[in-house]
Amino acid sequence: MDEVKRGNAVSRFFRVLGKDLREIGQTFVQGDWKTKISFLVMGFGQLCRGQIVRGLAMLAMEVGLLYFTFGFGWQYLSKLLTLGTVETHKEGRVTVYGDNSFFILLYGILAVVAILALIYLWRVNLRQNREAEGLLARGKRLPSNRSDLASLLDKNFDKTLLALPVLGIFIFTVVPIIFMICIAFTNYDVTHQPPSKLFSWVGLENFKTLFGIGGEGFGGTFFYVLGWTLIWAFFATFLTYFLGMAVAILINKKEIKYKKLWRTILVMTIAVPQFVSLLYVGKMFAADGLVNAYLLKWGWIKTAIPFWTNATYARILIIVINLWIGIPYTMLIVTGLLMNIPAELYESARIDGANAFQTFRKITLPYMLFVTGPFLLTQFIGNLNNFNVIFLLNQGNPKSLQLSKNAGATDLLVTWLYKMTINDSNYKIAAVIGIMVFLVTAIISLVVYNTMPSVKDEEGFQ
Amino acid sequence: MKKILALLLALVMVFALCACGQQAAPAPADKPAEAAPAPADKPAEAAPAAAAGTLKIWVAEAIVDFTKDQVAKFVEAHPEYAGYEVTVEPVGEGDAASNMLTDVEAGADIFGFPQDQLARLVAADALIELSEENAALVAAENDAGSVAAATMAGTVYAFPLTSDNGYFMYYDKSVISDPSNLEAIIADCEKAGKSFYFDLRSGWYQPAFFFGAGCTLTYDTDDAGAFTKCNIDYASENGVGAMKALIALAKSPAFVNGSSVSNATNAAAIIDGTWDADAAKEMFGENYACAKLPTVKINGVDTQLGGFGGFKLLGVKPQTDEAKLAFCDDLAAYLASGEVQLARYNVVFWGPSNIAAKADPAVQADEALSALGQQLAFTVPQGQYPGEYWSLAEALGDDIIGGKYNDADDAALLAALQTFQDTCIGYAG
Repeated sequence: MDEVKRGNAVSRFFRVLGKDLREIGQTFVQGDWKTKISFLVMGFGQLCRGQIVRGLAMLAMEVGLLYFTFGFGWQYLSKLLTLGTVETHKEGRVTVYGDNSFFILLYGILAVVAILALIYLWRVNLRQNREAEGLLARGKRLPSNRSDLASLLDKNFDKTLLALPVLGIFIFTVVPIIFMICIAFTNYDVTHQPPSKLFSWVGLENFKTLFGIGGEGFGGTFFYVLGWTLIWAFFATFLTYFLGMAVAILINKKEIKYKKLWRTILVMTIAVPQFVSLLYVGKMFAADGLVNAYLLKWGWIKTAIPFWTNATYARILIIVINLWIGIPYTMLIVTGLLMNIPAELYESARIDGANAFQTFRKITLPYMLFVTGPFLLTQFIGNLNNFNVIFLLNQGNPKSLQLSKNAGATDLLVTWLYKMTINDSNYKIAAVIGIMVFLVTAIISLVVYNTMPSVKDEEGFQ
Repeated sequence: MKKILALLLALVMVFALCACGQQAAPAPADKPAEAAPAPADKPAEAAPAAAAGTLKIWVAEAIVDFTKDQVAKFVEAHPEYAGYEVTVEPVGEGDAASNMLTDVEAGADIFGFPQDQLARLVAADALIELSEENAALVAAENDAGSVAAATMAGTVYAFPLTSDNGYFMYYDKSVISDPSNLEAIIADCEKAGKSFYFDLRSGWYQPAFFFGAGCTLTYDTDDAGAFTKCNIDYASENGVGAMKALIALAKSPAFVNGSSVSNATNAAAIIDGTWDADAAKEMFGENYACAKLPTVKINGVDTQLGGFGGFKLLGVKPQTDEAKLAFCDDLAAYLASGEVQLARYNVVFWGPSNIAAKADPAVQADEALSALGQQLAFTVPQGQYPGEYWSLAEALGDDIIGGKYNDADDAALLAALQTFQDTCIGYAG
C-alpha cells in the first residue's frame, strides 16, 4: 500500500516537473520579445507592459538575490563542498586566520537557499509574462498597478499577512534546522573548532559511531538513554495525568469543604518558579541534605539514603518529584472539564445502579481521554524533552563506567545532548542525537495522533 | 479596520517567533552578527596609530578591582601604552576557558584560567606561547611545579599566577584527635555523629588515593595540544588497594561526598582548598585547624594520600596586530610578577607561585597555606588531562558511592579499573 503511494508521489512529482518544463519551453517559443528578454531580466516584460509595480519588484528581487548569492555569498558557496582548505597559521608570533568552516557552512546554506528562491521567482516571473500575453491576446486589459497594490489588501491579503511570519520562521527556525542537520554529517567537534581549525564532511560516520556497539561506537549507551527517556516520558505523563484527575475528582466531590483552599494550596507549586523549587528539592535529597539529616536525627535510618547516587532510587525519586510539579497542572485542566460533563449522564447511571468506579470507568474516563487526548500527546512529547526537571534535580547523574560519553542513569536524550555540546564540544554527535530526538517525537506523534479517538471520531461526544 | 488589526497581529507573531527562534538556535543566529566583523575590524583599528585600541581582560570576580588598579599603575609607568583602552571583566576562571573556546575572536586578550584548561586552550589556538625572554623569566622566578603546569611539550604558554590550587584537610580540633590517620578520623567522626567530606566523584580529588598508592595517570601532548599518549597504571595491585580504601570510605556512615564548605552541614573534617579558608574558619570557629592529608591503610600499609598540585595561570590570546601583542605580553608579565603576586595575596589571599613572594613573612604565617605547602610535597604537579577524563572520574566515583562494588572481589575491581584505564588510554591519540 505504502509502496504504491510512494510510487504515485514520485511519478506525480515528475509529471508536474515535466509539465512545468514544457510550459517554460512554450512560454519561450510562443512568447514575444518582451517575454523572451524576461527570461534573463526578470520583470522586463511586466515593465514594458506597464505593470511597473510587478516589474520593479521582480527586478529588485533578482538583483538582490543575485548580489547576495554571487557578490557576498560566493566566497562561502564556492567552498561549501570542502568547508574550507586554508588552515589558520602563524607568521612569526602573529596569527593569520584561514577559512572558517562554520561561516562557510552557514552562509553557504543561505546562498543555496537564495538560489532556490531565485529559481522559484524566475518561474513566477515567466508565468506572469505568459498570463499577461494571454490576456492581451484575448483583448482584455491587464490589471493596473493600482489594482495590483490593492489586491495585497484584498484578494491576496493572505500573502501580505503571511509574508513576515513565514520569513521569520524561515530565518529563525528552518535555516538553523538545516544547519544542524548538516552538522551531523561533519566532524565538527573539540578537535575541529573554527576559527583556528577546519572541519569537513564525513558522510554517515557519526551515525555509525552512535549506533555502533563495541569498539568506538556507543550504541549500548544510546539505547540505554533512549530506553530511560521513553520510560520517564511514560510515567511522567500518565502518573501525573491520572493522579491529577483523581485529585480533581476528589476536590470536586460535593462532600468536600473548602474547595478553593485545597486548589490554592496545590497551585502554589506552580506559583514558585521551577528553577527555584527544583534546585531546592534537589539539594534536600542530597546525602547531607534536609531529608537525610532528619531521618538520621530521628534514628529512622543508620546511614544516609543514596537518593541521587543510586541509579534506581534516583529514577524513582525524579518521577515522584515530577508528580508534585505535574499534578496541579492536570488538576486545573481536569477541574474545568469535569464541570462540562452533563450531570444527566451521572444521574441515569446512578439510577441504573452503577457504583462510583463504574461511572468513572464508563463516563468520566472516556470523556476525559477524548477531550484531553491531544493534550496528553503534547505532554508526552514535552516530557521526552523535559530538560528542566532532570537537569535541575541531578544533572542526569549518577554516571557509570558502563556508560560512555558522559551519560548518566537519569539522562534524557536532550540532557545528554546538552552535556555533549557544553562540556565536550562534541557538536557532531549532538547533532545526530538531535535528529534522533526529532525522529522519536515525530514517529510517536504521528502514530498516536492518527489513532486518537478525538481525531478519528471528531463528533463522538457531541 | 479588521485587516489592519490582523496585520498588526501578524507582526506581533513574527516578533514572538523571532524571540523563540533565537533562543532555540543561538549558535547560527548569534555568531555571525557578533564575530563576523571582528577579523575585518581589528587590523584597521590598530593600523593608523601603533599604540591605540582596546584590550579586554578576564579575571575572577574577586580580583577585578585589584586588577584594574594594577593595570592603571602599569599604564602610568609605561606611557607608550596610554592609547589603549583596557577593560577588566569578571569572568570565573573555569568559565573563561569555555568562553574562549566558544568564540576565540570575541574572547578576552588576557585571561586567567586554571592550568587543567591549558591543553584545551592550546588545542583551540586560544593561547599564544610566551616570548623567549618572558619564558626564561617565568622559569627563573616561579616554583618548579607552576612552571611545569604552564608548559606543554617544552613550550611555555602562560604566566603562573598562583601556586595554591591544591587540597588539604580542614578539621574540627574538638572532634578529631589525630588528624594524621584516615581510619582514626573516620572513627572519631562516627563516634561524634559528624561527617567527613571528600569529593570522591571529582577527577581532581579522587587521585589522592590512587596517586598515594603509587599509581600514575598523566598524558603526553604534542605541540598542538593534542593528546598523544596516556601513562596510567590504575589496573594494578596498587590501584585495587586504593579502590578498596575508597570503597571502605564510601561505606562509612560518616562519609559525605563533597568539597565545598558552603554546602557542608555537620562537618568535622573536609578535604578542600585555600579558597574556602575563610568559610572554614567561620564554620569551625575556634576549633578550626588545618593539616596535610592523612594516611590510609592500602594493602596493609599506612600510605600518605597524594593528589594534584594545581596552579592558576594568566594567558594571552593570539593577536593579529604586533603592537597590541607587545602590550599584552608586557601587561600580562607585569600582572604575574612577584611584586603583584604579593600584593594580590595581601588583598585576596591567593598563594603566590613566585619564589620571592612565597618567602614573605605574611605568606609564611598563613595556616591554610602552610598545610597546603606540606601536602604539596606529596603531590604531582597537575598536568594536562582531556575534558572527558573529568567525566569518566565522576562515573567511577558514582559507581563507588552507589555501592556497585561493595561486594566485589579483587578480580571484579581489577576488571573495573581495567575498563577505566582502557577508556583513559582511548582519549589519547
